[in-house]
Amino acid sequence: MTPLVASYRVRVPLALSMTAVMTATSMALALGLQTLHNLREDQGRDALQLGHAMAGLLVSALRQDDVWLAYSLLRGPDGADSQITWVLADARGRVFASNRPLRYRLDQPLAHTLPAADATSATASESAPDGGPETGAAARPANRPDTGSAVNSASGPGSSVSATADLGAQVLALQDDAAIRRLVHLPLDSEGTRVGDLFAVLSDRPFLARFYEILLGGVLVTSAVLALLLPFGWLWGRRMVTPLVRLAECMRRVEREDLRSLECPVPTGDDEIGQLGQRFAAMLGALSEQAALERRVLQSERLAAVGRVAAGVAHEINNPLGGMLMAIDTYRGRRAGDAGTDRLLDLLDRGLQQIQETISALLVEARADHRTLKTSDFEDVRTLVEPQLTRRGTTLTWSIRLQTASSLPATPVRQLLLNLVLNAINAAGETGSAAVRIDTTVDQLLIRVENRGRPLPPERLEHLFEPFAAPRGQTPGLGLWVCYQIVSQLHGRIEVAAQDDRTRVDVQLPLHPDTTDD
Amino acid sequence: MTSWSRRTFITGLLALGPSLIAPATARSAPDRADCGEALRFGVTPVILDNQVGFLNRWSSWLSARLGCPVELVQRTRYQDILDLLLREQLHLAWICGYPYVQQQEQLEILAVPRWHGQPLYRSEIIVAGASPVQRLEDLRGGLFAWTDPLSNSGWLYPHFLLHDRGVDPDRFFRRSIFTWGHARSVQAVADGLVDGAAVDSYVRETLLLYKPALAQTTRVIERSPWFGFPPIVAGPALAAAHRSAIRSTLLGQSSDAAGQALLADLNLDGFSIEHPQLYVEIAAMAERLQLRPQP
Repeated sequence: MTPLVASYRVRVPLALSMTAVMTATSMALALGLQTLHNLREDQGRDALQLGHAMAGLLVSALRQDDVWLAYSLLRGPDGADSQITWVLADARGRVFASNRPLRYRLDQPLAHTLPAADATSATASESAPDGGPETGAAARPANRPDTGSAVNSASGPGSSVSATADLGAQVLALQDDAAIRRLVHLPLDSEGTRVGDLFAVLSDRPFLARFYEILLGGVLVTSAVLALLLPFGWLWGRRMVTPLVRLAECMRRVEREDLRSLECPVPTGDDEIGQLGQRFAAMLGALSEQAALERRVLQSERLAAVGRVAAGVAHEINNPLGGMLMAIDTYRGRRAGDAGTDRLLDLLDRGLQQIQETISALLVEARADHRTLKTSDFEDVRTLVEPQLTRRGTTLTWSIRLQTASSLPATPVRQLLLNLVLNAINAAGETGSAAVRIDTTVDQLLIRVENRGRPLPPERLEHLFEPFAAPRGQTPGLGLWVCYQIVSQLHGRIEVAAQDDRTRVDVQLPLHPDTTDD
Repeated sequence: MTSWSRRTFITGLLALGPSLIAPATARSAPDRADCGEALRFGVTPVILDNQVGFLNRWSSWLSARLGCPVELVQRTRYQDILDLLLREQLHLAWICGYPYVQQQEQLEILAVPRWHGQPLYRSEIIVAGASPVQRLEDLRGGLFAWTDPLSNSGWLYPHFLLHDRGVDPDRFFRRSIFTWGHARSVQAVADGLVDGAAVDSYVRETLLLYKPALAQTTRVIERSPWFGFPPIVAGPALAAAHRSAIRSTLLGQSSDAAGQALLADLNLDGFSIEHPQLYVEIAAMAERLQLRPQP
């Protein structure tokens, strides 16, 4: 038995389920990561827009040293709950204002608290009210290496605020906390002079909860879908594997069971397993045929050996037997003995004659007769068995279609048929029935004798044609032995098949044994 | 101490005033229809000046009682209001006692608010609720918020105090900022923007009524003696007839239901007439500091 884990019965449904789980998980993860990316992008864009909006006022706060103005701007209505950490640095790079005043103290050097603070990518400037927007932009070409992508249309009157279009370039990844932080930098210029820098420290923390919520939602939906899909996938997998499992079961049974009685539902179909099943069935058929052939060869060899022994023994016995019978006969002719001697001689004579009969029954000589077979021979057989039928009350169906002339000898075939029919009647019993069908093909005579009655046990089938093979309690006979000898000598074939209460004997005889014989 | 008892006496005397004067004012109001232009009333952050709804209601009430339109003018900085007042752009204003004593010759007290039954308030030094600071001296080298260079409680008194203790107020803190409002100073301390601030006790307590959460986040470490409450003063532009009308209207506000409701919003008891002597301590402190130039 295959271990459960190794069996395809488990592995295929498991693989299908795993595929479903992995697909669902990666989908949920991909959606979550995409959402996180979108959230980050939105946050960065919002920060940049807000920074630009505040730039003008922050510049004036810096110039007028109005910490509170800058603080109240950065603090906004949200106060400390704001998602973005704003840090405004003055021209000397010290904290001027932040909406996280406890962390970014006034006048604290920024270099310690913000790494890579000089990474410039977005530029915001405020020019003096008397200067036009172009003045501010033209005065600082060096400050804007990416003038080409600068968006000047965002400039308001009296101030020129420009920003690069590409947000990605402005975001620096920092990782000083557990949450990933990004930094958006906006230099604040007034008339070409740097008055300060605005930094927005963006953290994932504000929307981590949202991200986890989305992820959890994804997992829940995935689980719900999986709860529906998994049993389906499991059943589907089982269904796919069932033919394979059945085939494997069949193959296992081949080792243990007799091929002849093996009845295995082999999967059929156009797929690979179906093809495998068909090939296996074909192979099984070939194997079974070969086994039957081997068995037949063995049987005929055994029977041939038995026949040779019987013939040899019969010849050896026949010679002295003939001498003894002759001697008794001679003794009787020469002198008349007393009554006691006569009785003894009679006894001897009868015993020796019985031996002779038995021996000659063993020695079947099929070719002794030169009269060829005719339809009337079969009718004779029918007439001969008639009394037996009447006595036992057996029904006999008789069907003869003899069309081709044959050179088969009449006597052996008559004896063969008689033996077979008597056997059938005997086996059919009182309630049974027997059928005889004789047919001819172009070069063969086909005799089929069937009967329904006592079932024939399989172990008897093996030794059916051997002399004196009947089990104890039944009449030991040479009937089928004789049949076999006749068929063998006529170069034919005889087969017995038994199924339940039905026993069938098939005989094939070549119509012209002389010409077919090599 | 004599000045305290005198002030108490005057205050007590004048407390009876509104009830006697108010009915007369109510009757005589329609007779004075000749107002000409609208009366421009300057308001500074000596009160919680961010309640626009309240200010509108108050100006409507004043207009109705006076029979003249009253326009409330807000400025964040005391100096702006004072400039407008002296340049006759405003008729009257609610200013701090400190700019009043500086410009006493040109300004006349119309009425002084009464809070907790007295026309008095004080300056408070506050720190964050969780701060370890116990005394003003602990704030040395820290960050400090002034309210306004013309505020008594938010600038003059703490300067005087530090000066009195032998410290240079301009070097005592590492850095100081102006918030231009007592409420903002409270917020700055609560948020941790600064380590300490000097604020008006009336504004702080009134703020706590509206935002009780701030009570936990701020803590008072020092309190000044009582000073005269920021007065409502008349500028050179206000005619004498208007002065008495406004005075009687303000004095009668507590006896009027709508006026009482407005006073309740302000967290005040009413108004009274006070002698300029009420601000003598502020004047003395200003003199001690020799009216140094504003930063």
